[in-house]
Amino acid sequence: MANAKQISVFVDNKPNQLTGVMALLKESNINVRALSLADTSDFGILRMVVNDTDKAEKVLKNASYAVTVTEIVAITIPDSPGQLSRVLDILGAENVNLEYLYAFTGASDRSVSFVIRVDDIKLASDALTKGGIIQLTEQDLSE
Amino acid sequence: MANYWNQEIECMSYEDMKKLQSERLVAQVKHVYENVEYYRNLMDEKGVKPEDIQSVDDLHKLPFLSKADLRDAYPYGLLAKPLNECVRIHSTSGTTGKRVVAFYTQNDIDLWDDCCARAIVAAGGTKDDVCQVAYGFGLFTGGAGLNGGSHKVGCLTLPMSSGNTDRQIEFMRDLGSTILCCTPSYAAYIGETLHEMGLTSDDISLKAGIFGAEPWTEEMRKSIEASLGIKAYDIYGLTETSGPGVAFECCEQTGMHINEDNFIPEIINPDTGEVLPEGEVGELVFTSITKEAFPLLRYRTRDLCVLSRKKCSCGRTLIKMRKPMGRSDDMLIIRGVNVFPSQIETVLIEQGYSPNYLIEVDRKNNTDTLDISVEMNPDQFSDKMKVMQEQEKALALAIKTMLGINPKVHLVSPKSITRSEGKAVRVIDRRKLHD
Repeated sequence: MANAKQISVFVDNKPNQLTGVMALLKESNINVRALSLADTSDFGILRMVVNDTDKAEKVLKNASYAVTVTEIVAITIPDSPGQLSRVLDILGAENVNLEYLYAFTGASDRSVSFVIRVDDIKLASDALTKGGIIQLTEQDLSE
Repeated sequence: MANYWNQEIECMSYEDMKKLQSERLVAQVKHVYENVEYYRNLMDEKGVKPEDIQSVDDLHKLPFLSKADLRDAYPYGLLAKPLNECVRIHSTSGTTGKRVVAFYTQNDIDLWDDCCARAIVAAGGTKDDVCQVAYGFGLFTGGAGLNGGSHKVGCLTLPMSSGNTDRQIEFMRDLGSTILCCTPSYAAYIGETLHEMGLTSDDISLKAGIFGAEPWTEEMRKSIEASLGIKAYDIYGLTETSGPGVAFECCEQTGMHINEDNFIPEIINPDTGEVLPEGEVGELVFTSITKEAFPLLRYRTRDLCVLSRKKCSCGRTLIKMRKPMGRSDDMLIIRGVNVFPSQIETVLIEQGYSPNYLIEVDRKNNTDTLDISVEMNPDQFSDKMKVMQEQEKALALAIKTMLGINPKVHLVSPKSITRSEGKAVRVIDRRKLHD
């Protein structure tokens, strides 16, 4: 079971930068499952989970984008009060340091998914398994 | 009103000046040839012997010195006196570890102070004045030069150094400063701060300012004069020759009188090295004929300029130079600091970045701004914002260490900075520096 992967792209903070990335993904028939954009006044870091990370990496690199692929934790939890809090408690109890997280559409109307970026992925993953949190694999996300 | 520090020299006839220059030049060439191996080699290569230099008319026979020579000869290669006869150094920023260091004997300092004293007196200074020196003190020549000149004139001297503007204004008001010496942009900033504090030029006693170390326009002069209620005088100099006081402005404000009893100016064609006649635009070259420790002969300043012997209403006969009209190289003067794009390039390569960059210089609220766009290194790309921002900060710090001024670094996408055929446009200077 391979951990889920995220592909990050460096984009300038000026008009039409996102358009360029999305056009390339569209041409290669790549589906974006999850996305978040962190930005400063100069540049942005576009983080995505796509259905074919290897292909996306190749396409973007060929177009001279700075790209990095990292393993992340992807989880699915019920879409009801207190669920994310429970996840954070589990990670907190193990002293897992969270870099950032972002939500994406769950597999059903009653669930929601999150990408969680941590430094120690094994520590986080084990804690979540022990806590009964459903984790998505690379395969789950490529469907 | 005869306001000269040294009337005999400042109002000397052209014939007498030429005679004085010739005597000093002949002795200086001999001194340099005997004591500076680096320059002796240059002369030998050119087949020039000290005997070939009999007067200023022979000056053109001597080889040039450039900033590159200063770097090659760093630190002692152009020193003409034993170190134990030198009493001080000053320095300009330079590329990696190779700064320009100029040495001074006590006599060199005295002559330099004398040049600055002439500038202060030409600006109306007397021993009754209170002279506030708000140039930087330290390796930079600005503070030391005007401080020394002010002492010579006998002014009460306030060695403030630059910065801490509220305190500058406090001293200015409490001690009744009458003359302000600093960079023109700092003078403008002091003026603005004064008005922001709800004060006007009526609340201070300044009558004159001596401003230099960076280019400024007539428009800026008028604005500073109005804001501080003063007459603003230009002063010119460079560390390689001594510092400020190589040339100074008089009440006519139409150019700077060169202290040509110490520094012989020439204007050359920067491409061919050929000496151009008076009135033509070219590169300004100086020969120090009185300096003992660091006597540069035919030093190319890279400043583009015009010389004029037209009679001046102030009575001085010293030749005048116009405000420099630009540079014959790519040097920028930012916040009074000399910056070469190549220095920035060196840092980028050292730090693992592509040498494709864009330097943007502007002047906002009378302060120069330096923005450098750098193509980020894809190998160092991280999805963590903290890591990327640390990269920007680290690069800005490395550039600051090299230049001595703080840049704003902007990371941009790889290959996003235009690569041009031929000469790359790496610098956009939006400041209006020359009239």
